[in-house]
Formats: sequence, structure tokens, C-alpha cells
Amino acid sequence: MATIQTLHILNKSPEHPRAARCLEMVSEEDGLLLTGGGVLFLATGHLSGPGKVFALSPDIDARGLGDFKGSNAELVDFARMVKLSLEANRVISW
Amino acid sequence: MSTLIMIDQAPYGAWTGREALDMAFSLAAFDQPASLFFTGAGVNWLRQNQEAGGIGQKSVEKNLSAAPIFGIEAILADRAACETYGLDENSLIEGVTLVDADAALLNDYDHTAFAG
Repeated sequence: MATIQTLHILNKSPEHPRAARCLEMVSEEDGLLLTGGGVLFLATGHLSGPGKVFALSPDIDARGLGDFKGSNAELVDFARMVKLSLEANRVISW
Repeated sequence: MSTLIMIDQAPYGAWTGREALDMAFSLAAFDQPASLFFTGAGVNWLRQNQEAGGIGQKSVEKNLSAAPIFGIEAILADRAACETYGLDENSLIEGVTLVDADAALLNDYDHTAFAG
């Protein structure tokens, strides 16, 4: 897998102003990791931007979003989240 | 005097929602009429099958199931917000009434307070 330039870690729900700011900043060679309230983007379906999308599985389960697991994000556990943050050239925690 | 407690923030990220729930339950336990209204990202409180063990929390779905025991009059959900978050009759927990969020809704309550 190609190296992620910037890993954007988004834990804000879709209506939080910072969530929109984050999505604007993601570019093609970046990764977007949804955690916390950020995983609600899987339910709203408003994720059409560039960059590879990851979502933290335990946060999806906590919110009862199992039905949305097949959507456009790669599921990761805590260990893989740590790995991603180490692999990326830099990390932005939104 | 009837009170409407509004929850407009997503579950699990912050404690404000649970505190609002405690406030509503306390009102009801002292025989003060209280209802809950979920809007915006707050409607995600009402989804079935929440399994919060993986993030070391208790499911808010279980918290909410105590509402009728405490005497909460109604659990209301903003219809439009439910559509935004892909929630329908099949995925909502039991006992939720879908309503349109407008001024007429608030007219029914003497006091409305937000969580957080």
C-alpha cells in the first residue's frame, strides 16, 4: 500500500463545524480515519471526497452502525489505528 | 410545569448527553412532567443494537430503556434528522415518537433546556 501523506483523524460528528473543515483538507494521497462521532459519516453517506477512508470498528459497534460496515470505509481495530498513525508521514487530529 | 430536555449531540463523544438524561430522569422521579427530544446528531442515541463494550462504555440504549420506569412522558425524535442519519422504524429503539421540529412542538412545554 502506498504511504499515506497525511492521516486525518476525525472524531467529530457530521454536524460539527470542524468536520466540514477536515473534509475540505483531505487530498488524494491522504487518509481519513473516522473515530468517535466521526463514524456517523457512514450513516449520512456524505463521504465522496478524495483519499482512502478508514473507520474504527469498536466505535461503529458502539453506535449500532453494523449495517453500514459494508460502505465505503475500510474497518480498522485499535492496533491498526496505531499502525496507520505511525505509517503516515504526518497526522492531523481534528 | 412540563419540561422538554433536548439532546442535539451524538452519543459517547461527551458526557453532556448522559447528564441531560440524568436531569430528565430526576425530574420524572420527583413527579415533574418531563419529555426527551432528540435532534441533529442526537438522534443517534436512538439506534438499536449499540454494543459499547469495545470502547469501555455502557450502551446509552440501555440507559434510555429506563425512561418509562422513571416516568418520562415521551421520547421524541426529529423526523428530518432521523432521515439524515438513516434511521427508520426498523432501526429505532422501541417507544420513540417521530415528530417535526417546529415552534408548535415547543409550545407544548413550559420549559425547554438543551444538553451541554
